[in-house]
Amino acid sequence: MSKLESAPLLQVQNLKKYFDIQDKGKLHAVDDISFDIKPNETLGLVGESGCGKSTVGNVLSKLLPETGGEILFEGRSLTRANKKEMESLRQKIQMIFQDPYSSLNPKKSVYSILAQPYKLYHMASGKALDHKVRELAEMVGLEEYVLEKFPHELDGGKRQLTGIARALALDPRFIVCDEPVSALDVSVQATIINLLIDMQKQHGYSYLFISHDLSVVRHISNRVAVMYLGQIVEIAETAEIFGNTLHPYSVALLSAVPKIEFGQKTQRIVLTGDVPSPMNPKPGCRFAARCWMARDNCRQDTPVLETAQPGHRVACHYWKEMLQNRQVATQTA
Amino acid sequence: MEELLKIKDLHVEYRAGGTVAKAVNGLSLTIHKGEALGLVGESGAGKTTTALATLRLLMDQVGFVTGGDILFHGGSMLEKREKEMVDIRGKSIAMVFANPLTSLNPLFTVGHQIAMGIQKHSKVSKQEAQEQAAGLLAQVGIPESRMKDYPHQFSGGMRQRVGIAAAMACSPELLIADEPTTALDVTIQAQILELMKNLQKEYDTSLLMITHNLGIIAEMCQRVAIMYAGEIVEIGPVQEVFENPVHRYTAGLLSAIPSLTGEQERLESIPGLVANAQKLPEGCKFHPRCTRRTERCRTETPPLMEAGGGHYAACWKLEAI
Repeated sequence: MSKLESAPLLQVQNLKKYFDIQDKGKLHAVDDISFDIKPNETLGLVGESGCGKSTVGNVLSKLLPETGGEILFEGRSLTRANKKEMESLRQKIQMIFQDPYSSLNPKKSVYSILAQPYKLYHMASGKALDHKVRELAEMVGLEEYVLEKFPHELDGGKRQLTGIARALALDPRFIVCDEPVSALDVSVQATIINLLIDMQKQHGYSYLFISHDLSVVRHISNRVAVMYLGQIVEIAETAEIFGNTLHPYSVALLSAVPKIEFGQKTQRIVLTGDVPSPMNPKPGCRFAARCWMARDNCRQDTPVLETAQPGHRVACHYWKEMLQNRQVATQTA
Repeated sequence: MEELLKIKDLHVEYRAGGTVAKAVNGLSLTIHKGEALGLVGESGAGKTTTALATLRLLMDQVGFVTGGDILFHGGSMLEKREKEMVDIRGKSIAMVFANPLTSLNPLFTVGHQIAMGIQKHSKVSKQEAQEQAAGLLAQVGIPESRMKDYPHQFSGGMRQRVGIAAAMACSPELLIADEPTTALDVTIQAQILELMKNLQKEYDTSLLMITHNLGIIAEMCQRVAIMYAGEIVEIGPVQEVFENPVHRYTAGLLSAIPSLTGEQERLESIPGLVANAQKLPEGCKFHPRCTRRTERCRTETPPLMEAGGGHYAACWKLEAI
């Protein structure tokens, strides 16, 4: 695992993104989050709709301006980069979207969609361009005949392969994958996941893999961060977060997933109510209203991320209790 | 066990603009009283078409039942007059849809919609219907104070609970749930599944659960049917089918999903594409994608054959054993 000990490729420090909503105040979509991603590493970002995970992706790829905080990419500030610096940074930071249908230009053939990045960066023309496009298509497993097609003529899997090929065209270093397999059937989903893993092995990409599907995230990620209402509530290496879950929300999220495995059924924790609104949040733990472990101080004191184990951080006042209970439970079992 | 719904050799076609798509091709299945049966398959397998045909809700002039029969309590659904169907829908067989925002009427309050269904099917006063509606909503965890709210004022999970309350309003004998939690987050999905399980037990309702999520099937159903290209390719007790799949397609689906607890192995993707309903292959419809096809698979369609213990699969391999 020495590759994971190298210097971070991306450092996110106290990142904030608020949206002004007329007459209502501020929507805290991303509220003071920090993490880093190393070269060749995949960080999974999980959470429910509206928790801010896509906003994080959009801010990191500079599709949205941040409200506060700092983003360092290869040590250079993304937040203070000027237009010219951004141009070169954009080559290195790419994005794969959930719905390839709405993220591909319907009036362009797959060929011209894939040629576009090379043209924009004046990297090839004529025969060399043609060669590059065909090479790129082959790399992701798109057949020659697909190049002449338009997005609406393709099935979901091929459309997503086109979206991935476009993201890989300029040999980026960091790719934000925002729910890249959620719209696909399972057999196609497997193809895309395998491709993303293979591409990472060959080219050393780093991924921020945003998904609500915990089994997919477990499969592809080195580390996982769990978000709730704009904040990271727990972050750790994949095996650690799935094996030694410490935040009550992460525990509930994991227990909620319907499992195929028979036999040892774990106790399901069914949370009551919906995710509260991220408008003008009050102090205290944001999960307190739905938490079965919450006590009075949870509604007043905001928990901060504490290190529970090396590399495992959790924002809960009572994580030690969770750990103890689990140890007792395993001992008695 | 009493047979509640029996679908026999059902064929459904969609015809539009000169093309014919064969959506369901000789599907047979039985749902017993109180049983929960899962229907699994990828997009375009014919799951929803089967459900719509059962309720005679196929789009007029486009969807046609071209063969087979659907028996409910032994009576043919296909021979019933539209007026009789209106009595069956909602009262004897109810349906929960994937997207509650499009299946609830945006112009009526949720309380009104549910009360309307109750009044339609049972002779009660408006007052009584309102009270029953309030009771149903309370059962799915929605306070009476929200009776007068419109669908758009609810969150996705609450809307689906309204949809379930509406479906359960006349205590139907059969509930068809078509991807009821696909649009929802996992914690909300857990709430809805728990709710459906409890209601099913309380009312002894049979359940046809249509989903692409194998985990939901494992938690909710006793038996599972795997659909491919409008046919059932494998059917049997859930644990038996999931642990010892016979059909290559079932096995492929199972190994395409990453595990939440086990070892991380490379995912298996099923080669090729889902069969095109406008140009179905001869023989076994899965043979172009099957890794162990033989000559026979190209020409002869395998029937469902028993693998033991109520576990059936449509694969010639079974005959060789």
